[in-house]
Amino acid sequence: MALSEQLEALVQLQDIDLMLREVRDPEMAHQEERLGFAIENVDHLERARRKIARRIDERLLQTYERMSRRFVRVVVMVERSVCQGCRMSLPTSTASRNTSSLAIENCENCGRILYRP
Amino acid sequence: MASAIIDATKPASVVEQFLRSDLFIPELRSHKKASVLEEMVEALARAGVTRNPEVVLTLLHEREALGSTAIGKGVAVPHGRSVLIGERAVVCARSSEGVDFDAPDGAPVKLFFLLVAPAVERDPIYLKLLAEVVRAVRLSKNRQQLLKAPHFAGVREALLHGAE
Repeated sequence: MALSEQLEALVQLQDIDLMLREVRDPEMAHQEERLGFAIENVDHLERARRKIARRIDERLLQTYERMSRRFVRVVVMVERSVCQGCRMSLPTSTASRNTSSLAIENCENCGRILYRP
Repeated sequence: MASAIIDATKPASVVEQFLRSDLFIPELRSHKKASVLEEMVEALARAGVTRNPEVVLTLLHEREALGSTAIGKGVAVPHGRSVLIGERAVVCARSSEGVDFDAPDGAPVKLFFLLVAPAVERDPIYLKLLAEVVRAVRLSKNRQQLLKAPHFAGVREALLHGAE
């Protein structure tokens, strides 16, 4: 799978992790249900997570899992050469990096995985 | 003077900040749940809220699989957060025929409010936005106004009035 597809899958995994975090947080889950939104099928989300995880390179997945203990958002966007995780400007060499490169880019300041849409 | 003091202390509406005419779909083309979501995400992409509509669509499908975001009385509020969403946004859409959206009361959904936001750990504004939209559609007269308003201005007014 191409790097861009790997990163896209990683973002999908992260989106599901955020949803799982919310449904497992009693306060957040209560708020959603109080507004009338159904939370019925957490098993489905867990299955979807496993399915997406299988598409991701093992080393990349391990890196994500390790970093997710530290950050809620491991994969972040780059906007105007700024890491949207820590808001630090990226060095020119990183900021203008060719996105077709096979290596994953990490923010030099916070270490998060950078995603360029 | 007294009324100015009252106005100044009144909590500001959050939904007001996120209503945009370019995110209003007066009549959806779609008649199925999946294509309704797709049509609303297309509007987000056109408005520049996301450059990754496919990923956002997947996220919304996963949320629907968790449990329907239809809340009954012909209203659905699909919602989700992702790093691929650049800003908070609300898409308002209507279907005069109604769409089966797995609502708890089984009623076809005619009013849709898609809420999206960037992924951050805690986002009180996003939660307030969700709560205000749900509050705005609780009253039947507001729902009727939302359905019948000929222009975006009428929809905006009904939402703001209902969210108070």
